[in-house]
Amino acid sequence: MIKRIKQYGSIYGAFVSTSFSEAMSFRAHFVLLIVMDLVFYGTHLWSIDILYDHIHLIGTWRREHLLFFASVMLAINQLTMTLVSENYWQFPLMIRTGNFDFHLVKPVSSIFLTFFRTIRPGSMFNMAFTAPAVVYFGLQVDLGFWAWIALPFGIVLGFLLQNSLEMLFSCAMFWMIDGTGVNFIRIEFQQLARWPDFVYPSMLRGALTYLVPVLLIGSAPVRFLLAPSDFWPILGLVVFLLFFWALLGFFWRMGLLAYESASS
Amino acid sequence: MIHAQGLSKRFKSHQKAPGFKGAIQSFFDRQFETKTAIENFDLEVAPGEIIGLLGPNGAGKTTLMKMFTGIIVPSEGSLNVLGTVPHKRSRDFRKQIALVMGQKSQLWWDLPALDSFLLLQKYYEIDKKTFEHRLNELSELLNVTKLLRVHVRKLSLGERMKLELMSSLLHDPKIIFLDEPTIGLDLVAQKNIRDFLLNYHGETGVTLILTSHYMADIQALAKRVVLVLEGQKRFDDSLEAFAGILGGAKMVAFRFGSVVKRQDPFFEPFSPLWNAEGTRVELNIPEDRLRELGQQILRDYPVVDFHTENLPIERVMAQLLERPELL
Amino acid sequence: MKVYLAKWGATMAVTWSNLLVYRVNFILQSIAPLFVFLLVKLSLWYRIYEGQPGLIGGYSFGQMAAYHLWVMITGLLVFNGNSQRISEDIRLGRITSYLIYPFSLWEFHGAGFLARTLLQTGIAIFTIFAALALLGGRLESPSFGPFVLGLLLAILGGVFWFWINYWVGLVAFWLEETWTLMVMLQIVTYFLSGAIIPLELYPEWLRTILLYSPFPYIAYGPAQLMMGNLEGVGRAFLVLGFWALVASWFAQWVWRRGLRLYTAAGI
Repeated sequence: MIKRIKQYGSIYGAFVSTSFSEAMSFRAHFVLLIVMDLVFYGTHLWSIDILYDHIHLIGTWRREHLLFFASVMLAINQLTMTLVSENYWQFPLMIRTGNFDFHLVKPVSSIFLTFFRTIRPGSMFNMAFTAPAVVYFGLQVDLGFWAWIALPFGIVLGFLLQNSLEMLFSCAMFWMIDGTGVNFIRIEFQQLARWPDFVYPSMLRGALTYLVPVLLIGSAPVRFLLAPSDFWPILGLVVFLLFFWALLGFFWRMGLLAYESASS
Repeated sequence: MIHAQGLSKRFKSHQKAPGFKGAIQSFFDRQFETKTAIENFDLEVAPGEIIGLLGPNGAGKTTLMKMFTGIIVPSEGSLNVLGTVPHKRSRDFRKQIALVMGQKSQLWWDLPALDSFLLLQKYYEIDKKTFEHRLNELSELLNVTKLLRVHVRKLSLGERMKLELMSSLLHDPKIIFLDEPTIGLDLVAQKNIRDFLLNYHGETGVTLILTSHYMADIQALAKRVVLVLEGQKRFDDSLEAFAGILGGAKMVAFRFGSVVKRQDPFFEPFSPLWNAEGTRVELNIPEDRLRELGQQILRDYPVVDFHTENLPIERVMAQLLERPELL
Repeated sequence: MKVYLAKWGATMAVTWSNLLVYRVNFILQSIAPLFVFLLVKLSLWYRIYEGQPGLIGGYSFGQMAAYHLWVMITGLLVFNGNSQRISEDIRLGRITSYLIYPFSLWEFHGAGFLARTLLQTGIAIFTIFAALALLGGRLESPSFGPFVLGLLLAILGGVFWFWINYWVGLVAFWLEETWTLMVMLQIVTYFLSGAIIPLELYPEWLRTILLYSPFPYIAYGPAQLMMGNLEGVGRAFLVLGFWALVASWFAQWVWRRGLRLYTAAGI
């Protein structure tokens, strides 16, 4: 067990270093990736700011609450962009070209090779934007001492839930071959998760909390941070995580059974 | 090493008529077709063998390879490689096999090969000393020491293939599957790869399963030949037996001083192969009639030159593909 | 002429085939905008108006909903560029064949654009009826004249966007990856075109500048027309037409520069 963890740790280390040297050889792309995310972060926060020039509340939330929520979502997004996002796009390509075959003959978990192989080192720098944003808006909503301690864990939990869900969706690529549809759904669900849960009418909110729990990604940690007595959603998030990991293992195996590999 | 019995694999694919109408039609009412890639295939491979899988495009050679390596799951039949069922993909199994595909690359395109190798070292948990030893040994054997630090995208196909081969040998596999390892290479590069494989096999006694469209590869490497036609095994014996399928035929080439009518019915039974001008022909002539026919041709046609050699396996193959009933 | 049109027709047929191969993908991408509109936009604005009954930026809830519906329809007609294919053509050296074919690269991609736009028009019509059916009488039916003008403006927006895509695709002559550039433009365009919030809510200084840029006229402008608001329609066509011309000229210029580089490299 310890040996396995060590092995995967050292493989991941090699992934980081290879991704880094690879990214460095395309300098313009490297810079553009950073700028692209920053433009998105900026316009998203600015839109909310403009909106609140004309209103006082959405639900019970004032400007600083929604901005804090938005900045937590951006922090989750930034982690996803850095650590996993590239792989969702490469996976269908590998299936279509048959290069996925090489993953299957390696003595390493193919889920691991598929979803963690490429890192976007450029996006890491955007933490210089998201982290201060979270802290700034966290100060504005007066987070308590324990909330500050819990904050990073909340963000990591949101990140884990989002990506467990998206990896689960990605299993469909084994059958669909073309990945556009799945990637499209992933992005649409990200859009749904970008707003706090109370925005949605009760039926929809229920479905997006208990069935496809995308609303837990941001709302569970932020609700807990704003009011620690509101801990049920974050508990639900953890339960869902364990459930999804089991499910991911199952569907991945099914997918491998169905995998036909591209002809030569 | 490999025990396959009654192995079959079927694929489903959909068909579509051309144009907008076809697209719409196939969108609403999709026609599926089941294609049998491999049917009722038996194979026994002993350790240390070199086996050449022969067959035209689409015969099912690659499908076989993918079943042997556990990449795809057989539809029917039993398969056992290195004591386990490949598609269960046990870690031990994967540590003992290697797959080289001439059409695909497992090296990172935008990095030097050495980076990919270091990654593989971690995948296969090769300790540092063994790794360095093998790295030196293999790169010297393949003569690629200077290429290890060059970006893969800057390498020639021949150089890349050597490194590709090297990447699949680092973990000292017990069985190596090579799917058209020399495709697209020039003659010298092809020979280099062949020589290396033969040499490597001689030293390690590794089992090699090989497909190739170049008969020279098969001829140089394989001791045993398995012919696959339309998903079925049609021949499985030694290389010599394969060359002798058509009886003890000889290939005789004649050069004529003037143009000879190529439709001449006299040549028909001997699978003639003409040059464009009609001044040169290659014939397959049964050994026992060599004397008689040779004299007749020399007498009746304007022969200026001729020579004879054993039927190259290339021509055996070509003839079998044209007339599979000969088997 | 007939032969020439046949080339366009054949290219469009191929594009349609490609779009329809993966059924699930096609259906998903066709109905997703409607769902996002219904689920995200309507819910969000409903909650906002709940806390603040009355007008926001001069819009009632009904008007705000209608605005976003028409923005969504406009989006279906505008965003039909395919910069990634163009970049791919360059990266993989496929443009060499277009230098030899009697059918140039821009014509090939223009035909693809046309094919996608036609298909998207069908989807847009379907979406309008679906939305009208789902929302019942709560949505005002558009009046004919301004609505057609709105459609025309949206299509002009599509032409503009096609040339922008073409230009970004061509950047592949110099850059390994161009999709970042495209996504960035998309984000900026979403924000500046009023697709997220209507321009009335933006600060005055920003609005003043934006009126001379192409952005408001590829979301806000068509939506206003479709809602029956004819104010500033002349300026909309003029400004967007001007930018479409500039974009096409610029794309062709970049093409010539890129080609010189390409042939000089002797690929």
